[in-house]
Amino acid sequence: MPADAPLLEARDIVVAFGSFRAVDGASLSIGKGEIIGLIGPNGAGKSTFFNCLAGDRQPASGTIMLRGHDVTRATPEEHARLGLARSWQVPAVFDDLSVLENVMVGAFLRHPRTADAVAAAEKVIDFTGLRPIAAARSGSLGTPARKRLEIARALATEPEILLLDEALAGLTPTEVRAAIELVRRIHARGITLVIVEHVMEVILSLANRAVVFHQGKVIAQGAPKDVVQDPGVIEAYLGRSLNRKARA
Amino acid sequence: MPAAPRAASRLLLGALVLAAVLVWPLLIEDQFYQRVGALVMLAALSASAWNLVGGYAGQISIGHVLFFGCGAYASLLGFTWFEWAPILGAPFGVAVSLLLALVVGRPTLRLKGHYFSMATIALAELARIIVTNTPILGGAVGVSGPAMPRSVLDLSFISPLPYYYIFGGVLGVLLLFTWWMSRSRMGFYLRAIRGQERAARSLGVPAERYKMYALLASAGFTSLAGSLYAAMLGFVDPDSGLGILLSVKMVIAAALGGAGTLFGPLVGAAILVPLEEITNAMFGGSGTGVTYVVYGAIIVFISRFAPGGLAEILSRLKAWRARHAG
Repeated sequence: MPADAPLLEARDIVVAFGSFRAVDGASLSIGKGEIIGLIGPNGAGKSTFFNCLAGDRQPASGTIMLRGHDVTRATPEEHARLGLARSWQVPAVFDDLSVLENVMVGAFLRHPRTADAVAAAEKVIDFTGLRPIAAARSGSLGTPARKRLEIARALATEPEILLLDEALAGLTPTEVRAAIELVRRIHARGITLVIVEHVMEVILSLANRAVVFHQGKVIAQGAPKDVVQDPGVIEAYLGRSLNRKARA
Repeated sequence: MPAAPRAASRLLLGALVLAAVLVWPLLIEDQFYQRVGALVMLAALSASAWNLVGGYAGQISIGHVLFFGCGAYASLLGFTWFEWAPILGAPFGVAVSLLLALVVGRPTLRLKGHYFSMATIALAELARIIVTNTPILGGAVGVSGPAMPRSVLDLSFISPLPYYYIFGGVLGVLLLFTWWMSRSRMGFYLRAIRGQERAARSLGVPAERYKMYALLASAGFTSLAGSLYAAMLGFVDPDSGLGILLSVKMVIAAALGGAGTLFGPLVGAAILVPLEEITNAMFGGSGTGVTYVVYGAIIVFISRFAPGGLAEILSRLKAWRARHAG
């Protein structure tokens, strides 16, 4: 794979539910080291598109390339092996396992021996600040800890690219600040990030490129502060202003 | 309690329990209780085998009697057709079971939850009907082992004691295997699949392959249990070798003690089998109905109050004590 080739590239992705095209010819190219913010109003198709990128949904048409491999029809586990990890919008931790054991499941991907997996998982536990609750049964955790655990578990697979699906939704402002700080430290390790988020403040402070979805298409992308002032984007979120409608 | 003395006391407790398990049948003269002991071992063996796929991997098979029957029939058909000692048929039973698990597992393991359970019931019932209608497999009458023991290889003993130790030995091997598995990557992957299959796959767990591994190991040991059972009873027919109640008993024993735990199925078997044998002895032939009433009550109790079985109740008690001590 050439040095300047994108890490993850989706071309002309279409996903249809019956006659409704949730994703309608969307394309996105992600380079190494970026933090992409995926935004758009509810029902814009960003979550569906995100699931295609993560390998949890196969598009009806289009291609997805991950590190030079065609992964359009690949299983989620093949995506993981190729260095892609994700978190879930509704945290999907393994309730019966302890926090450390949850992280170990991720670590086993690169460290088949139990002792090595424990050692790798311990490092991730320290990095993500989960040390105080490492022995707790994860079914007993609250939402903020579950979200953090999801990120830790994904990190333990030693990914090149990490996809976060509303990892900050439902957190208090203090927790959001802590989570932003964690995302920054993950990025500093050289991991490329794709973030789906509703909180615009998060996108503005984290992403170096915002990609706006509307009606299944990418309608704008660029620096977050420019994108939020784009008239097309404002219209997508708020509808047309009355003045302009009157003039038209 | 500090960690080191606690580990030492647990080790001591384990050694005491093991010694008791090994010695008690020798101290009791009554063959009835020795026989119950052997049956407990056998039930623990099949429930522990079921536990690999049903407990650890969370794929609730209610068709495991398919593999049990394979083992039982292989043993006695080997004798009927070629005059082999029943136990020589066991490897063939295991081989056929593994093959069946491969063929049956590929489509059924893709089904989730109840759909998987129903598919396994259907397959086991299908096997029972096919065997019932196939004369060369004994048909509805069944097949018998040697009427008189010809050598020790026939594993035909009057005293239940040898069976107790043979079943116990195989159970020991299975428990060692389970213990090793639960600590290895496979054990973690199976528990992850049981918890959240979608999330497990996105962490790189090849779920279908690992569920298949669990099913293969489980089918192999279940078949072995069937062969041993046939060697002890010297007879198998479609009901005693392929009846759905046998599958249900494996599930209940594991669920009562704690599915997905090492000793859960053992504890469950140690409670259920004596219960069944004693009610049968007390009420005679008319008592078989009482057993089912008890089973029903146990199913209701477990699913309503403790889906994790006695193991869950124990850990809840421990947590409660810890809260009140501190």
